[in-house]
Amino acid sequence: MIAFIGRRILQLIPVLLIASIGIWAMLFAVPGGPIGVIVGENATPETIEAARREFGLDRPVAVQYADWLSHAVRGDLGTSIHSREPVFDLIMDRLPATLQLAAAATIVALLLGIPVAMVSAMYPGGWLDRVLSGWSALALGVPTFWLGILLILWFAVDLRWLPSASRHYAIWEDPAQAMRNLILPAITLGVYVSGVLARFLRASLVTEMNADYVRTARSKGLPERSIMRRHVMPNALLPFITIVGLMMASFIGGAVVTEAVFTYPGLGRLLIQAINTRDYPLIQGCIVVILVIYIFINLTVDILYAYVDPRIEYS
Amino acid sequence: MKYLHVILSTLHALLRQTGAALGLGFLALIVLVAVFADLLPLDPLGQDFIRSLEGPSRDYWFGTDELGRDILSRVVFGARTSLVTAAGAVVIAALIGVPMGLIGGFFGGWRDAALMRMVDVMMALPAILFAMTLIAVFGRSQGAALLAVGITGIPGFARIVRAQVMSLRKRDFVIAVEAFGGSAGYNMFRTILPNSLSQILVQVVVLSSVAILLEAALAFLGVGVPPPTPSWGEMLRTGKTYLHEAPYYAVLPGIVLTLTILAFDSIGRGLSRLIENPGETAMQGTLK
Repeated sequence: MIAFIGRRILQLIPVLLIASIGIWAMLFAVPGGPIGVIVGENATPETIEAARREFGLDRPVAVQYADWLSHAVRGDLGTSIHSREPVFDLIMDRLPATLQLAAAATIVALLLGIPVAMVSAMYPGGWLDRVLSGWSALALGVPTFWLGILLILWFAVDLRWLPSASRHYAIWEDPAQAMRNLILPAITLGVYVSGVLARFLRASLVTEMNADYVRTARSKGLPERSIMRRHVMPNALLPFITIVGLMMASFIGGAVVTEAVFTYPGLGRLLIQAINTRDYPLIQGCIVVILVIYIFINLTVDILYAYVDPRIEYS
Repeated sequence: MKYLHVILSTLHALLRQTGAALGLGFLALIVLVAVFADLLPLDPLGQDFIRSLEGPSRDYWFGTDELGRDILSRVVFGARTSLVTAAGAVVIAALIGVPMGLIGGFFGGWRDAALMRMVDVMMALPAILFAMTLIAVFGRSQGAALLAVGITGIPGFARIVRAQVMSLRKRDFVIAVEAFGGSAGYNMFRTILPNSLSQILVQVVVLSSVAILLEAALAFLGVGVPPPTPSWGEMLRTGKTYLHEAPYYAVLPGIVLTLTILAFDSIGRGLSRLIENPGETAMQGTLK
């Protein structure tokens, strides 16, 4: 098992290395290069030369990259050009808001997706299955940002029940405010993810429903519902874990858009602000953090899968 | 001639599926309107400040925006932006992704490993973030949006073609071409590629839907096609700030965007169903 985990981590190294070079080299592709980013477009040759020396840009590029990487690994992602604060602090400031949104949206997605998948799989091809499959197609097809706008129109503009712009309150400090501010963004993001979840889980359940042990359970006279809950579900969840990684991609992407709809102060909005103010150290920092989170989740999923399913050999 | 027959019979089989037929119908409408937009009595840029943020009326079917521009005109010309971006992105993704998959799947070994690591890196970030990063580098323009969306589509093509090539690689007709002295290039592009076309076609449709959504999302985030070019995502972005005064502003363009995405989805699902159930169309008989 430990060897398996070690090998999975080793496989990640080339991907992480190339991705980090890409993120670092971003600055060189920007018009004006890294110097232009630091001193602005109208700098005198003297300022440029001084900045080159101050920021070590006169060194060989390989040295510059190694320097950047060794700082990044230790959590030093540089200083924001716009706010002059350390990038790492700015990101850590926003991360809890995004994680809280992600947790709330996961609950919505599970509450919607699992029942939809279970009911469709119990009557494959039936009218209920077709209606529910239509629902998951809709959940996937309707753009997240438009769904968010519709929800704001109903619940904030018309009914005035909930705020149209969501602020971040930690759930353990002010549960009532946190809920009020989280409901609409969580539904917006959760509905989309539930579409992915329902589609894959249904496929996985239908395969299991045709297995021999289900026939045995039926011939014993077990009611359909307890076959589903006791026997099929645990088996179907196994192949399902593999698509959690796939779901994470839509999750992170969806979170960026959802935060924009509700002007929610998370990591995604920080990234958009950074792009709009051309704050490249902050852009790089956000991308690095998201990349690490994303890769770490995928790795955890892989290991979890191997751990749960005894048929997978680690060699 | 052979291909015309395949296209027609595939279309015919698609039209027999309700969902796919509805999708094709709506898409045909959008494409026609976008192509002939200049011939219609529409003006996406003309401003009429006195009549800004007016609700739908006989003069302005979809109402007017904050500058008094006709929203319907902007939706129609926005279709152009969407379709051009999607088409360009699909072409870029296919031109790079298909050869990557062909070479990786055909030769295997180090070429395959190198190409697939590249695909892994491209997939190391969710598509929208990858596209945003590219736009942060290139600056904001229609070309940058198109290129960014296109590059995020490369892994999809590369993986699907690679899987298809690996399953065809050991088939008799491929080995026969090799035995007769056909070059690797001939085998890849003249033997294997035509037999992978149906899978590639499905990916084209799937990616078109993703590309339209991605273009709109980038515009909604304020990093897509820059104004004043009409774009559905940009309209939703601005419309969102006028939800109290003009709710139709964000709702109507959103309906058109959603229906376009759903249309592509239903066509894609219809096509996959055709591939899974051969016999419903001549597509399989001719190409497989």
